[in-house]
Amino acid sequence: MIKRLLVLDGVMAVAKFRDDGEFVEGYGMMPDEELHRLAHFALDYKRMVQGNADQLAMFGQINGWTPPGGWIVRGPAMSVCSVSNLVAVVNNGEGSLTEVMRELKEVASY
Amino acid sequence: MSLVSDLASTPGVLAAGEYSYRGDRFHYEGKMDNEQARLASIMCRATTMGVHMQTDMLSQFADECGCTPARGWFVKGKGYSVCVVAHYFCFIDNTGASINEVMGKMRRSVGDATPDKV
Amino acid sequence: MASLDSLMQLGGAIAAFSFTDAGELTEHRLGEGPLNEDVLDLLCHVCVANTAIATMQARGWEKLTGMQGFYPIEGFTMVGFDWSAVTSNGQGVVLKNEGADYEAAYQVLNS
Repeated sequence: MIKRLLVLDGVMAVAKFRDDGEFVEGYGMMPDEELHRLAHFALDYKRMVQGNADQLAMFGQINGWTPPGGWIVRGPAMSVCSVSNLVAVVNNGEGSLTEVMRELKEVASY
Repeated sequence: MSLVSDLASTPGVLAAGEYSYRGDRFHYEGKMDNEQARLASIMCRATTMGVHMQTDMLSQFADECGCTPARGWFVKGKGYSVCVVAHYFCFIDNTGASINEVMGKMRRSVGDATPDKV
Repeated sequence: MASLDSLMQLGGAIAAFSFTDAGELTEHRLGEGPLNEDVLDLLCHVCVANTAIATMQARGWEKLTGMQGFYPIEGFTMVGFDWSAVTSNGQGVVLKNEGADYEAAYQVLNS
């Protein structure tokens, strides 16, 4: 199912992981080992963002941050973005992060 | 004597505690109320998770980099510091406590705890 | 500012370094061990990131609890498996955990 994300412009790779750290599947222009690393990184990053969002909500006393819906790290040429247990690597010049995030959300809901 | 009691009775220590890896339970002793201990547990757990992720990534760039698995961290504020090893935390007064003594006690006691549940 | 050479004089020191507010390594000294410039650069980013998070925590904590004394953050230390990285004021030192004297490290970093 996550393979369909590769059809989107700019998407170089996608991976799916479980909350216990298990790699589920990954596809794209990346060796298997790197897809595993991408999934591992995404899980760690998800937990970190979750922890920081919890604190922001706790200290700011405002709801609306948690639970976080996902995250995007934007570099000069490439971005990594994630929703739920899916992560994608996107070429900034070729794709739209808005579109990728929307599709990630939809695929994650299946 | 438990580590929390030992730390809490160390000169200059404001409070010490431990939290569950899931972050939903905690135990503490010292000059801190229940809500503060809850906040402290959430903060320490979040930073510990981040540090573990960062050291994992560092180790991918340097084999045997000596940083994984991370044992803990501490942060020094203007008047107080917070020390964390495994799932134990300790708030200390910079003027009355020795970071070396506190970190030494924590590391000797729980420094070898496995990080698999972090 | 401490000199990197004085940081290397600390017991068990295996590296000393300085970095920008954004975490980029600007200068370093290496002793024995497998550390290198690239790892130190990453380490600087880790310390800057955690100092930023700790600053957020200190601000939130002081506001919510009324307990002062945490802000501003003066240093962050990561205790790894074998070594500790002690940082403050844009400088840092990596010490062997065994016998690491954190107080002494902070004294030199704040000198």
